[in-house]
Amino acid sequence: MTTRTRYFVIASLLVLGVGMGSGLVAYYSSYPMSALARRGGPDELKYVPHDVSVLAYADIQDVMHSQLRQKLHDAMPVSENGQREFRDETGINIETDIEHIVAFAQPGHTGGPGGMVLERGTFDVPRIESLMTQHGAAVETYKGIRVISVDSRHAMAMHNGMMNGMPNGTNRMMPPDTRPDRAAAAGDETFSVSFIEPRLVAVGSTSLVHEAIDQKNGANVTSNDEMMKLVRSLDSGNAWAVGRFDAIQKEAHLPAGVASQIPPITWFSITSHVNGGIRGTVRAETRDPQAANNLRDVVGGFVALAKMQAGSNAELQTLTRALEVNVAGNTVELSFAVPAEAFDALGALGGMNHKKPAGQKPAGPAGQ
Amino acid sequence: MTPSTELRAGPRTQPSFVSSALRIFDLSLGQMLWSRRSVFLALLVGGPVLLASSLRGIVMLDPDAVPRVNGALVGGSALFGMMIWLLYIRFIIPVLGVFYGTALIADEVEDKTVTYLFTRPIPRSAVLVGKYLAYLACTTLLVLPSVVLVYFAVVPISGGVGESFPSLLKDLGMLAVGLAAYGALFAWVGARLKRPLVIGLVFAFGWEPGVLLFPGYLKHLTVAYYLQALVPHAMPDDSAVSILLQVFHDVPDVAQSLAWLAAITLVTLWAAGRAVERREYVLEQ
Repeated sequence: MTTRTRYFVIASLLVLGVGMGSGLVAYYSSYPMSALARRGGPDELKYVPHDVSVLAYADIQDVMHSQLRQKLHDAMPVSENGQREFRDETGINIETDIEHIVAFAQPGHTGGPGGMVLERGTFDVPRIESLMTQHGAAVETYKGIRVISVDSRHAMAMHNGMMNGMPNGTNRMMPPDTRPDRAAAAGDETFSVSFIEPRLVAVGSTSLVHEAIDQKNGANVTSNDEMMKLVRSLDSGNAWAVGRFDAIQKEAHLPAGVASQIPPITWFSITSHVNGGIRGTVRAETRDPQAANNLRDVVGGFVALAKMQAGSNAELQTLTRALEVNVAGNTVELSFAVPAEAFDALGALGGMNHKKPAGQKPAGPAGQ
Repeated sequence: MTPSTELRAGPRTQPSFVSSALRIFDLSLGQMLWSRRSVFLALLVGGPVLLASSLRGIVMLDPDAVPRVNGALVGGSALFGMMIWLLYIRFIIPVLGVFYGTALIADEVEDKTVTYLFTRPIPRSAVLVGKYLAYLACTTLLVLPSVVLVYFAVVPISGGVGESFPSLLKDLGMLAVGLAAYGALFAWVGARLKRPLVIGLVFAFGWEPGVLLFPGYLKHLTVAYYLQALVPHAMPDDSAVSILLQVFHDVPDVAQSLAWLAAITLVTLWAAGRAVERREYVLEQ
C-alpha cells in the first residue's frame, strides 16, 4: 500500500469514525437514560397481577414537556380549569408531579373488567387523604399500608367535581350503568387509593389495590413469560401498551356477527415516542401466518386508500407518507411517524375553521 | 556449518489462497483508487454531498426555504431517506457495481497485464477475490463517508440527528451489503460473459426496475428485491400506481433478505473465481 493510499484510507475511516461518534453522542443524549434500566419493564411491574389482559406505560414528564404537546396546545387550546381545580384540591400538578404511570386491566372477578393505575411521582399525601375523607372515603390499614376507599358512586362524583370545577359535582353525574352483567359489579366494587411505597400511589378498585399490596413479594406479571416477552421486545418509546386482544374482545361482549368479522389477533402492542412529532409502531400477532398476511392486506388497503385520498392535500400527505405495513411470521406491524410540521398544519386548519362571522369588520387603527 | 548453509532454502510452497488474495488486494487497492475510473467515482459520490451542502447552506441563509414536496414541508430525516432511495440505492450502488465489478478482470485483460498476474504461483481465483476485496474497500471507503456527510448536512435541517441515528447505521450496513452483492454479481458477469458492461447496465437499469413492477416470482431474480427490504426509510411514492404497487409489494423480511444477499454474493463470487480458473484469456496483439 502506497503512502497516499494509506492516507486516504485513514482519512475515510476518520470521517466515518467521527460521524459515528457524533451520531452516537447525539443519540444517547436524546435517549432517556432511564429507559436503559427499563429493559424488562419499569419497577412498578412487581405490583401488577400475573394474569392481566392489558398493560400500559407512559412517561408523563416526557410527554408533558414534549414539543408535540406544546404544538397541540397552541393548535387546539383546551381549557385548563379542570386541571387547575384538581391541583388546587389534591395538590397534584399533573404536569410536574407525576413522573410516569403504569396501568393495567384485568379480567374482572365479578363479571366486569377491573383496572388499576400506578403513578410514580411526588404527592401531597395528607392533602389527598383530606380531600377523599371529605367526600366520604374511609381509611383502613391493609397489611401495614394505608388504603383510602370510597364507594364508586362517590368516586364518580368526586371525579366529576374535579373535572368540571364543581366541588360536589352533583349536577354532572354520569348515567347509571344498566348493563346486566355490570350492575352487580358496579354495586360491589369500591374505589381505592393507596400509597404503597414512597412516591408511588395505586389508584383502582379496592380488590386490585389489595392484590397489588399482596403482589409485592409474590407472583406478578414479571413471571408471565408471554407478556414480558412482548414488553422486552418493544422499541424504545415513552409510551407503550401490550395486551391480549382476544381477552379484550371477550370482555367487550360484541354481537356474534361483529365478532366473527374481527381478524384472529391474539396479542397486540403499541409503542410510541413523543417528542417533536410522534412516531410509533402498532404490532398485532395473529394465530397463523395466513391470518397475518390477510390482516396485512386489509391494513395495506386502508393505508393505500389514505395515501390516495391525501393525494391533493399536502398536510395529509405528510401524515400518510410515513405509514408502512410489514409482516414477519405471525406478526403484522404498522409503523407511523407524524412530524411536528403536521401539527403546525393541523393548527392552521383549526385556525381556518374559526373564521370571523360574516359582516364583522376587522378592528382597524384608532380613529378610522 | 556456516550461517549461510543454515539458511538453505527449503522447497517453495504455494502461498495460501488467503495470503494470495490479500497480496492482490494490497496491490489493487492503490491502482483502483488512483485510476481514471475513480474520478468518475469521486464525482458520483461527491454529487450528493454537494447537493446536501448546498441545501443546508440555502436553508441557513433563508430559514423559510425549507424543502417542500407538493407543498408539504419535508423534514430532514425524510429528505435524507429520499436521497438514499433516489441517489444511492437506485443509481449509485448499481452503477458502481456494474462499472467496477465487470472491470475487475476485464481491465487487466484490456491493459494486457493479466499475464503478469496469472503467471504468479497463486490461484487465479485468488486474483479475482483480491481484486473484489479491493473494489469493496475502495467503494465502501468512498460511499459510506459520503453518506455520513450527507446525513449531517441534511438531517439537522428540521429534525434531530440523534433520533434518526439508528436509521443511518442501517443505511450504512445496507449500502455495504448492496455494494458487496452487486460487485460479486457483476464480477461473475465480467469473468464469464462477453460485453459485460452492456449486460450489466441492462440488468441494473432495465431488468431490475422492470421486473420489480410486476407481481410474481421474477422479482426474486434480482438483487434490488432483497436490498430494498433492508431500507429503513419509506419508499418515495410519486403516483397512485406506485402507491398501489407499494401496498401489494411483497417485501421479504430482513433475515431472509440478508441470507439471500449473502448467498448471491458468495455463489456469484465462487462462480466468477471458477470462470477465471477455467477460461483461457487470449490477449489481442
